[in-house]
Amino acid sequence: MIIAGIDIGNATTETAVARFNNQEKPEFLSSGIYDTSGMKGTRQNIHGIFASLKIALDKAHLTVDDIDLIRINEAAPVIGDVAMETITETIITESTMIGHNPSTPGGLGIGVGVTVEIRDVHNVEKGSSIIVIIPREVDFEDSSRIINNTVKNGIFVNGAIVQRDDGVLINNRLDKKIPIVDEVSLIEKVPLNMRAAIEVAAPGSVVEQLSNPYGIATVFDLTSDETKLVVPVSRALIGNRSAVIIKTPAGDVKERKIPAGKIIIQGATKKAEINVDDGAERIMEAIRSVAPVEDIKGEPGTNAGGMLEKVRQVMSNLTEQLPATIKIQDLLAVDTFVPQVVKGGMAEEFSMENAVGIAAMVKADKLQMNMIAEELEKELGIKVEVGGVEANMAVRGALTTPGSNKPLAIIDMGAGSTDAAIINRAGEIKSIHLAGAGNMVTMLIGSELGFEDMGISEDIKKYPLAKVESLFHIRHEDGTVQFFDKPLDPQTFARVVILTPNRMVPIPGNYSLDRIRTVRREAKTKVFVVNAIRSLERVSPTGNVRDIEFVTLVGGSALDFEIPQLVTDALSKYSIVAGRANIRAIEGPRNAVATGLVLAYGVGD
Amino acid sequence: MRMDYDVPKPEIKVVHSKQANCPNVINQVLHGIEEEGLPYSVEESDENNPVELAFRGAELSHLGVGIGISNETVVLHFIKLKEDQPLFIIPTYSNEATLRAIGSNAARLVKRMPFKNLDNTELS
Repeated sequence: MIIAGIDIGNATTETAVARFNNQEKPEFLSSGIYDTSGMKGTRQNIHGIFASLKIALDKAHLTVDDIDLIRINEAAPVIGDVAMETITETIITESTMIGHNPSTPGGLGIGVGVTVEIRDVHNVEKGSSIIVIIPREVDFEDSSRIINNTVKNGIFVNGAIVQRDDGVLINNRLDKKIPIVDEVSLIEKVPLNMRAAIEVAAPGSVVEQLSNPYGIATVFDLTSDETKLVVPVSRALIGNRSAVIIKTPAGDVKERKIPAGKIIIQGATKKAEINVDDGAERIMEAIRSVAPVEDIKGEPGTNAGGMLEKVRQVMSNLTEQLPATIKIQDLLAVDTFVPQVVKGGMAEEFSMENAVGIAAMVKADKLQMNMIAEELEKELGIKVEVGGVEANMAVRGALTTPGSNKPLAIIDMGAGSTDAAIINRAGEIKSIHLAGAGNMVTMLIGSELGFEDMGISEDIKKYPLAKVESLFHIRHEDGTVQFFDKPLDPQTFARVVILTPNRMVPIPGNYSLDRIRTVRREAKTKVFVVNAIRSLERVSPTGNVRDIEFVTLVGGSALDFEIPQLVTDALSKYSIVAGRANIRAIEGPRNAVATGLVLAYGVGD
Repeated sequence: MRMDYDVPKPEIKVVHSKQANCPNVINQVLHGIEEEGLPYSVEESDENNPVELAFRGAELSHLGVGIGISNETVVLHFIKLKEDQPLFIIPTYSNEATLRAIGSNAARLVKRMPFKNLDNTELS
């Protein structure tokens, strides 16, 4: 008889087709994979099931009529969601600063003076020191002529702030060189008749005086109390090639902590409360201390409360249950940074603010698998049954990996949750589900690099990077160079690109390849390596990760080009053999559950 | 001893047709190159086809980067490209910023920096 095992996952529906010739061991004929249609566990899945089954049958030259039995999985009713909350913020009130990296600032050095609009310089007294402000309407020939004349009239022009990309052009026409910061988009916001300092560093260097609080104090004669207030300004200017600080009398810049609120973790026997401000490490400690977790709540009226309630709301919409009945049963918190526009800046400056990213996991009611099975049976006229627990099936499938043996642990790294299961020598299986997986990695990449568009973060997660070095060649992450016959798209020239299978996608912004690579790898480590260890701790019979010998990685994220290596590397420190599964020696980390469903039939499970 | 007195200067060549009567266009393009800090030189030619002017410039330029300017069109060319497939083409009636940007892009091709956007012009 011929049996099809079908696994409906969050992202893909996978099929394994096998023939039983009156013995326990089936002969596998083919497999199929197709995107899951609709939310896992709902009626919409049927379309994806048909497509996946058809692919498998076509490969084996079979039709639906040849099939005697279909087994679908008892899907783990687990759904994950992610959220992010910034816990610090930089606001500038009245006082102002400009710190940015125009590609070509003019001049060099540091200059101090009072800000004056260039068309008003004739009103300035002889002998005074000024910084000229040059708006878009005044072109570089006029402004350089005016500056030269003004200097001849005995006024010290010590620097210029320019709206257009004119810095070098002006500088080339000056008799006496001054530092010039250009491309200041919101120049009308620069206050006039205020003392200002301007610094331009040499090519390849960064500003030194204005990124040092004492440097600012020296320039503006600040008291020790005032110096304390400028620390956030200097911090925001670190790493820029050019900078301006304008001192207004009442001004100061504040770094303010937003009250992030408390997270309340209710365990079976214990309860813990922890401030989100304390950071991810403390939150995770608290969760470990009260395990097993029954529900997690946020303090009402705070960011933490809002964040967790949002997760609860999304879950309740998906599962059509009341928000109050949704229990958050695991949470993964990760410290991260988020670039935020500095409020009050003039050239769209960003400041890296601390943030906490959170993934939450909710156990829903049993999903409607029986309903799907009935529907399927009606449409196909073939017997359909719901097989055993998903994790058990996955373990059975994973054991077909060459070189693996009981006791074996599997880590299923999906999009919404990380699931782990362990089978001991006696064949008993224990499984758990944890929050945080592929979607959280995407969120962390997006937030740290400041991309609103989740598509580009997803691509960064999935594919390697390269730098386009000329119109004809790129340099890969590992340094190897690849040449092309035809010129590359000019839009990608000199940029870091994502090598998706279809095309090179240029990454917006000025991030270096190394920076993006680091963010990507850190995000993967923070989620998958942490979760691999966390999940093994929970399923290990002794609670100690070291007591597990073999770990196979399955699921979509195990197909990633570097996640398996990161996990293998981390787990080798616990002397665990860990690696990507290779189901039936041909499927790689895919098809574990579908294969398990077929195998389980053979042993009457 | 180094014999460097015959070595041509590394510069971008801007070649315009003799008939081209648009000094402002040429100036804006040159300002674009200057802002990026690269040397350039300008030449006249009897040729009127802007693509050929640009390619001629690329051939003359020690950096392999040429800009051709006719009465109607500004073209940026690179010696390693096919002659009939220049990098950028913009009309001379483009606004000041775009004309400067194509000059900047010639320099950025040499400096290996991402190009400025020329999209806000109607490209032919």
